[in-house]
Amino acid sequence: MVKEVERAGIPVVHICTVVPISLTVGANRIVPAIAIPHPLGNPALDPAEEKALRRKIVEKALNALTVEVTEQTVFEK
Amino acid sequence: MGKLRIVHYINQFFAGIGGEEKADHKPEVREGALGPGLAIQAGFGGEAEIVATVICGDSYFGENMEEAKAAVLEMVKGYSPDLFIAGPAFNAGRYGVACGAITEAVQAELGIPALTGMYIENPGADMYKKSVYIISTKNSAVGMKDAVAAMVPLAKKLVSKEVIGAPEVEGYLPRGVRKNYFADKRGSERAVDMLLKKLKGEEFETEYPMPDFDRVPPNPAVKDLSKAKIALVTSGGIVPKGNPDHIESSSASKYGKYDIDGVYDLTVDTYATAHGGYDPVYANLDADRVLPVDVLRDMEKEGKIGELHRYFYTTVGNGTAVASSKKFAAEFSKELVADGVDAVILTST
Amino acid sequence: MDLENQKRVKDMAEKYGAENVVVLIGGAEAESAGLAAETVTAGDPTFAGPLAGVPLGLKVYHAVEPEFKEAVDAGVYDDQIGMMEMVLDVDAIVAEVSAMRNQHTKY
Repeated sequence: MVKEVERAGIPVVHICTVVPISLTVGANRIVPAIAIPHPLGNPALDPAEEKALRRKIVEKALNALTVEVTEQTVFEK
Repeated sequence: MGKLRIVHYINQFFAGIGGEEKADHKPEVREGALGPGLAIQAGFGGEAEIVATVICGDSYFGENMEEAKAAVLEMVKGYSPDLFIAGPAFNAGRYGVACGAITEAVQAELGIPALTGMYIENPGADMYKKSVYIISTKNSAVGMKDAVAAMVPLAKKLVSKEVIGAPEVEGYLPRGVRKNYFADKRGSERAVDMLLKKLKGEEFETEYPMPDFDRVPPNPAVKDLSKAKIALVTSGGIVPKGNPDHIESSSASKYGKYDIDGVYDLTVDTYATAHGGYDPVYANLDADRVLPVDVLRDMEKEGKIGELHRYFYTTVGNGTAVASSKKFAAEFSKELVADGVDAVILTST
Repeated sequence: MDLENQKRVKDMAEKYGAENVVVLIGGAEAESAGLAAETVTAGDPTFAGPLAGVPLGLKVYHAVEPEFKEAVDAGVYDDQIGMMEMVLDVDAIVAEVSAMRNQHTKY
């Protein structure tokens, strides 16, 4: 799906846990997520901390959208 | 030579430990054959025995690849097997990636003949078919018998270091290897034969199938987030509670488009996941964990982004055919463009 | 056949004796009916459940098979199954399930 959105001309960032899969399917902007059942969360944290964690990942993703890239790029910590 | 000693790798489900709720199972090893191992062992007809079965949860492997690989390698090493077999994984994505990764590691680092099996669309297939032999299987465990029937002969050849034939003959996924051979007719004759067939509208077989690169170059970056309209898309199956459009939990035949105008937070009463390929408990309690509406709404209020698009698109990535997800996305991307969306955040589980 | 049902069938065969158990299937599709029949006779062909490698060899029938239809009250059968009988691919179902029974049922 990532490629089709990109093909339509819209910059897209993929937040996903298994980064090698994202690379294989051809996403250009990739942000690693927390875990498979909760990519943007962590039930072990209290709600406020969890939301802060989610915010950090979303900020990283939005930031990735503002960075010019020429090839597949993983935006790590 | 006595019986061949095999170590087999399977996931938590085929080991009978549990389903998605046990996908975080750490690597463990048990003596003898388990689950599909019984079929594999039977397939060797007394010539081989599975001396040990290594089990690892699919999510644990996916989230801790390096540690899991290292732990599994240690376990395999301990048995000094003649052969290593992983899976078959069919269309289970995380399982296929794990099987491919561990088969490659055993082959490269322990020098033991190794192979695995999975469906051609399994993400693990594209990732590992170049480095390891992957038997091509059906897309579900219904194909177990056929998978084993193909894995056993190839395994025997790998152990006895026989020449491995072409993919169509041995049943593995093409690895991109080119082998020179002498043909009966010279190239120009074969080319003319092919052209004649093509002109007559007859079937012909190309000697060189073009590889499917299909990479899409990245689009230019967003210049100003504070003015940008951001849309959310997910393969994690987040839907309004009750799944009104009945998106399937696996092999989805459709996608959903839902209106979050006025929605600032996804809650246990209003949204859930339809996805059957991961433990749904966390997403059901708070769907923001897969589709981060709450955080994006905050950022919208603070002016950090221009606007969160009122519609989000969702489907279930579990075993959904590549062609289907391509079709869905091509369709809804047109709407995203028409709606003036500047960028998309796509989340996957 | 899902794992829970596999376990139930296995437990019942153990409790009552395999020769005293008959499995009656009601699934709507020939392929899945055949798989269920195979599971309780030759063992789970997907090797994912408790009956992996466990060939119970039980007697198994599908509700639309003549053996079952003739053994029950015609009126009740018509009430409960008549409608489905018209919609299902009965021939395909009978073929799949009886094939498994003929090949693998021990009793």
